[in-house]
Amino acid sequence: MTLILAVSVGVLFGSGAYLLLMPDLFRIAVGIVLVANAANVALMASGLGRGQSPIRPLEEGRVSDPLVQAMTITALVIGFAVTALLLCLAYRIYVSSRSVDLDELSHAEARHERELERDEVSV
Amino acid sequence: MSPALPLLLGWVAAAALALADGRRRAVGWAALAALAATAALLCVLAGQVFADGPRQTVAGDWPAGVGIVLRADALGVLFAVLSAVVLLAGLAHELLSGHRGRLFPALVLFLGVGLTGLFLTGDVFNFYVFFELTMLASYVLAAYGGEGRELRAGFVFAVVNLLGSFLFLLGVAAVYHVTGTLEMEAVADRIARGETATAVLIAVFFLVAFGIKLGLFPFHFWLPPVYASARPGVAAMLSGAVANVGSYGLLRFGAGILPAELRLGATVLLVLGTASILYGALQAVSRRSASEVLAYSAIGQAGYVLVALGIGGPAGLAAAVVYSVANSLNKTLLFLAVDLRGWLVGPAFAVGAFSVAGIPPSAGFFGKLALFQAGVEEGSIALVALLFVGGALSFLYMFQIYQHDFWRPEQGKPPPAERGPSSPFALRAVALMVAALVVGLGLWPEPLLAAGREAAEALGALAR
Repeated sequence: MTLILAVSVGVLFGSGAYLLLMPDLFRIAVGIVLVANAANVALMASGLGRGQSPIRPLEEGRVSDPLVQAMTITALVIGFAVTALLLCLAYRIYVSSRSVDLDELSHAEARHERELERDEVSV
Repeated sequence: MSPALPLLLGWVAAAALALADGRRRAVGWAALAALAATAALLCVLAGQVFADGPRQTVAGDWPAGVGIVLRADALGVLFAVLSAVVLLAGLAHELLSGHRGRLFPALVLFLGVGLTGLFLTGDVFNFYVFFELTMLASYVLAAYGGEGRELRAGFVFAVVNLLGSFLFLLGVAAVYHVTGTLEMEAVADRIARGETATAVLIAVFFLVAFGIKLGLFPFHFWLPPVYASARPGVAAMLSGAVANVGSYGLLRFGAGILPAELRLGATVLLVLGTASILYGALQAVSRRSASEVLAYSAIGQAGYVLVALGIGGPAGLAAAVVYSVANSLNKTLLFLAVDLRGWLVGPAFAVGAFSVAGIPPSAGFFGKLALFQAGVEEGSIALVALLFVGGALSFLYMFQIYQHDFWRPEQGKPPPAERGPSSPFALRAVALMVAALVVGLGLWPEPLLAAGREAAEALGALAR
C-alpha cells in the first residue's frame, strides 16, 4: 500500500511540475491542482492506514488514524479555495489582455516596459 | 491572557467586515479600529509573555497532546506585534490615500488573523492552515484592483508561492509520518532522538518553502514585479509583514524544531545568504525606479537573516530576530514614503535609507551591529567583510534613489519628489510615525535587543 501511495504521489507531483512549466495559464493552474493533490495523498499516506474506519459507533478491534483524514480534508478545502482564486486570476488576465499564453503576455510586458523607458527618456 | 483572544477578535471582525461594503468610509475605519484592538491585545499578551514566560491554550479544552495547541512564546509574540504594527500602518496609509475597495479592509484583517495565528500556533498543521490563510489574502491584495501588469505579477506570485506552500505541506506529512505528532515541542523532541537522514529531507522541504516566501536568492524571481507593481500600502504590508513569515518559519522550524539539521546545513545557508545579499544589492544599485530598488533590496536584506541563521548559536539567532524586526520596519517606512510628496517626506525617507544602510541612530544600526557581533564571535573575517560590503552597497543604492528623487533638479524642473501637489498631512504623519519608531528603537534599543535575546532563548527551549 505504501508503495502504491508513494508512486501515485510521485506521478501526481511529476505531472503537476510538468504542467507548471507549460506556457499556458490554465495548464499552470491545473499543474498547481495536481501538486496540491500530491501533497494530499502524501498526507493520507503519512498516517497509519490499517484498521477500520474511525466512525462512531466503534466496533471491537483497531481503528485507522483519524488525524490524517482530518488534515487531508482541511488541505482539500484549502486547495479548493486556492484553485478558485487561481482560475479567477487567470480569467481576469484573459479579460484584460485577451491571451492566456505566457509568451505573448511577456512580450506585451516587454513592450510596456519599453514604452515606460521611452517616456522616462523624453521627460 | 489566552493567546486565542486576539485571534478570535480579528477573526470575528474580519468575517463581519467581509459582508460589509469596504468602499464606505465607516467600514474602513472600523477595520482599522479592529486591527488596532488586536494589536493592543497582542501588546498586552507580549507584556505577559516577556514578564512570566510562554502562555498556552489547548483549543476546545481537549487534553494536551490531543487538541490543537496555541502557544505564545517570546519569538511568536514579538513577530505578531510587529506584523500588527506594520498592517496598521499599511491600512492607515491606504485608507487615508482614499483607496477604496469592496473587500480591501476585510482582506487586510484576514491577513492579520493569518499572521497572528501562525505566529501563535504550537501545532505544525495549524501553522500550515494559517499560513495558507495569510498567503491567500496576500495573493488577492497583491493583484487587487490591478490591470494587466499587476494581475500578471499577482498570478506568478500566487503560483510560485503555492508551490512553496504545497512543498511545506509535504514536509508536514513527512514530519507526521516520522514523529507521529503535530505538536511542535513533541516534534522537536522526537526528531532529536530519531535518525538524521529523513530529518535532513524534511529540513530541505522547509528551507525551500520558507526561502520562496522570503524571496531568497534562487527563489526570488517572483518578488520584484509584485513589490514594484503593488500599491504602496500593500507593498509595505507584503514586505513588512508577510515576508516575516519566511524569517519566522526559518527560525521556528530551522532553529526550533530541526537544530541539528540547521547546523548540518550551516554552510548552505551561509552560501545562499551571501548570494542573496550580493545579488540583491548589485541589482538594486543598477535600478533607477525607487520601488524596484526597494524590491531588490528586500532580496538582499533577506540574505542577512539567512546568514545570521547560518552563524547560529544564541548570538546568531538573536541577531536574526533583531535584524528581521528592524528590516520589516525599514521596508514598511520606505514603501510608505516612496510615493509621498511634500514637506517632511524627504527626512522620513532618509531615516529609512539610513536604517537600511545601518547608520546610527536607527533600528537598522542595531540589526547590523548584532550581526557583526555574531560574525566576530564566529571569528570569520570573510563574513565580517561580507557584512561590510553589503552595508556599503545598501548605502550606495539607497542614496542613489534618495538623490535622484529628492535632490537632483532635471532640466530646470524640481526633483521628482517635489513635482505635483503635496500629499495630505495625515498620510505623511503615518510615514513619520513609522520613522519615529525606527529612530526611537535606534535611540533606545535595549527593549529590542532584550526581546531578541529572549526570542532566541525561547527557540532553545523548544529544541531541548
